[in-house]
Amino acid sequence: MTMTQSPSPPNSNDDKPQAVSEVAQEANQAQQDVGAEAAKQSVPASVFVNSEPIREDQVSNAVKFLSHPKVRGSPVIYRRSFLERKGLTKEEIDEAFRRVPDPTSSSKPASLNQDGQAKSSSNVQTQAPIQTPQPVAVAPTGIASLEGRQFHWYHAVSAVGLLAASGCGTALLIKKVIIPKLKLWVRKVVLEEENDYAKKIDAKPSLAEEAAAAAKAAAAAASDVAKASQEMLNSKNEERRRFEEFMSLMDAQVQEMKSMSNSIRKLGGQASSSGRVFSDHDDHRVSASSTKQSYANGKVDVNVQLGRSSTPPASAEPPHPKSYMEIMEMIQRGEKPSNIREVNDMPPNPNQPLSNPLIAPRTKPWDAQNGSDHQVLQSQTSAEGLNQNGQDDGLNYLLDDESSTPWWQRKNVRITEIENEDEVKDTGPYGVRTNEQPPPPIQRTWVPPRPPPVAMPEAAEAIRRPKSTPKETATQEQSADGQSAAHPSEVTDELQRITKMSESVGALEMNGGFSTGNSAVIQEQENSYGEN
Amino acid sequence: MPVFKTPFNGYSVRFSPFYESRLAVATAQNFGILGNGRVHVIDLSPSSPVINELIAFDTADGVYDVAWSESHDSVLVAAVADGSMKVYDTALPPQANPVRSLKEHAREVHGLDYNPTRRDSFLSASWDDSVKLWTLDRPASLRTFREHAYCVYSVAWNPKHADVFASASGDCTVRIWDVREPGSTMIIPGHEHEILSCDWNKYDECLIATASVDKSIKIWDVRNYRVPVSALNGHGYAVRKIKFSPHRRNLLVSCSYDMTVCLWDFMVEDALVGRYDHHTEFAVGVDLSVLVDGLMASTGWDELVYVWQQGMDPRTA
Repeated sequence: MTMTQSPSPPNSNDDKPQAVSEVAQEANQAQQDVGAEAAKQSVPASVFVNSEPIREDQVSNAVKFLSHPKVRGSPVIYRRSFLERKGLTKEEIDEAFRRVPDPTSSSKPASLNQDGQAKSSSNVQTQAPIQTPQPVAVAPTGIASLEGRQFHWYHAVSAVGLLAASGCGTALLIKKVIIPKLKLWVRKVVLEEENDYAKKIDAKPSLAEEAAAAAKAAAAAASDVAKASQEMLNSKNEERRRFEEFMSLMDAQVQEMKSMSNSIRKLGGQASSSGRVFSDHDDHRVSASSTKQSYANGKVDVNVQLGRSSTPPASAEPPHPKSYMEIMEMIQRGEKPSNIREVNDMPPNPNQPLSNPLIAPRTKPWDAQNGSDHQVLQSQTSAEGLNQNGQDDGLNYLLDDESSTPWWQRKNVRITEIENEDEVKDTGPYGVRTNEQPPPPIQRTWVPPRPPPVAMPEAAEAIRRPKSTPKETATQEQSADGQSAAHPSEVTDELQRITKMSESVGALEMNGGFSTGNSAVIQEQENSYGEN
Repeated sequence: MPVFKTPFNGYSVRFSPFYESRLAVATAQNFGILGNGRVHVIDLSPSSPVINELIAFDTADGVYDVAWSESHDSVLVAAVADGSMKVYDTALPPQANPVRSLKEHAREVHGLDYNPTRRDSFLSASWDDSVKLWTLDRPASLRTFREHAYCVYSVAWNPKHADVFASASGDCTVRIWDVREPGSTMIIPGHEHEILSCDWNKYDECLIATASVDKSIKIWDVRNYRVPVSALNGHGYAVRKIKFSPHRRNLLVSCSYDMTVCLWDFMVEDALVGRYDHHTEFAVGVDLSVLVDGLMASTGWDELVYVWQQGMDPRTA
């Protein structure tokens, strides 16, 4: 799968182990001065670059998302932001944008035309035969609902077939249904005529009855009609009422918006920007008041605001101070708080040169302690050295007869007895101790999953067995005291022990204890490593 | 522990990288909605627990953040809500200040960070969705980084790699940038809600922490950014600002709209190791001193600035 290359040097393809070694190199380099770093521009910090290949499933999902008609109407920046929030990388998003067909391209209109042609042909054919539109209308709409990407001749063929079938169906219908009905109707008429002849003779006395019945029926029908029409009127009235209510609500909203826009325009007319409404993370969504657009123009882009405030606030709104709400309301009403002064904060001399620094920049504690995994003591002294420097350099502020440390440096006051505030939980070899307290008891800590280019297994072993375990070191020292002197550090012997150690490490950990022989070996490994 | 009362609502507090006892405080009138602003430079008196104000600078609009220069001990930069940034030099007489006004952002400047390794440049994060790179000697920005889809709340330089920085935005992503590259090099969709703050671990340059409106803080390793290393829960409302300790690898401090300042050790199962509830309104600014291990400061909308030593109660006299 081809990767889209960002214009950076080709290190974005690095695998993770390479990246880590490069980071290690760069970490060492970072201690040197700026010139060295500038020279390293050909090897950037590749660990900060996303080196994942493009995920096809993510890209196809993104293409589906981007093809949706609603999405097409939204600004590009919001589409990108959505995809970024879903975890797609830049390359994947660019690829998706590339794949989604552009509405201005030539392929789409051609397919549209083809679809239109199929539709028109089918329509012409349907209108020719019979007046029963139902089954015939279904056919062309059924065809039209197919995407216009299909072959149009296939369209036409299927259309013709369907039409033929529907034509036959209607013909059958006519024969079977309509003609019998016609016959019936003809018979009825004939029968009625005959009846009429017979009825005319004795129809006279029953005429009145019939008339009365007819009148009653008519009255009933009329009343029904009246009722129905009244119901219709009522419902119409209700509808009208509801509509009017709705309209009045809309009017009220429009009024509000107008007043708000007026107030904002008023405020925007001033030099300083007007009240900024924290409709952001404060979760205080002032109704319909816009924020994102610049106030200087006095424009109100309410749509943007409504669009942005559609994301629901994460937490329940934190209780704002009462005066905060008062001030917000004042701003909405268009009033300005009275305590604001006119301040001129422009520089009197924009070319004023800066004063010369009195103190040289200090090294940061993390730079000073770089690579101090096993040099706890050194770090202690360096930290203390920094503090002493601080005191010396701050002499122009501290009194000369200041004998005790300033109150802010009284670190021994940090009491371990304050249980909930004992944050000094040093975590294994990566923690750096700068206080004078005894090491805390071993905590169950989570060892970070550092990618391990393990060059020396005994180093890994030493790291896994921190020296802070008093029990272990005591037993080891006791048992190894005699033995360490006896064993000369021969390389081959050491190598053999190293291989043995690395094999047996797992077993040791599982056993959870040490036999004296093994502990001696461990101690010697640590000693040898310490020497190295 | 001393307290400093500001006339306006506090927004940010920063320790000076040169003087242990010096801090800068950014404040804004009327909660930053509308009004003036003021930058205070305060000093801790060595003998008694008292905070003195050395100098204060007024601005036309609220000040949302402040950053000390890493190259000049007397210079600080203020992020103002009218989109400009003011540079102040405390060694010059007050009437000579500000020495610069850098106006390029179209909207409020919400975050500032000064480069701690290269010491010559700083970044500004703005609600106009962009981040700009500046140096003190130039009146115009060097670069503009425009990719976020919503307000950028916070920006942080990597403590080891002088060209790498991260930006946290209301579009729910954190972006890693390299100033040598035209665009962002990594996008971390860290939270489902707005991300208000981010900071790098000072001892492991691949770890970055993000704080969000969803009340959580997440720690990410950029080498494997799909899954967070750790998620710290415990705040009752949105977490406004976080800072990794300059002295301890695993320690980080956070402040939140639940009015508390919390200390976390993200390598431990029960990560919350300290909680201070001294503020009576939103706690919006917190900082740890680079020069003094354990010294911390916080400020909030209750117009108070507290400076205290870890392990002590900030309110004790």
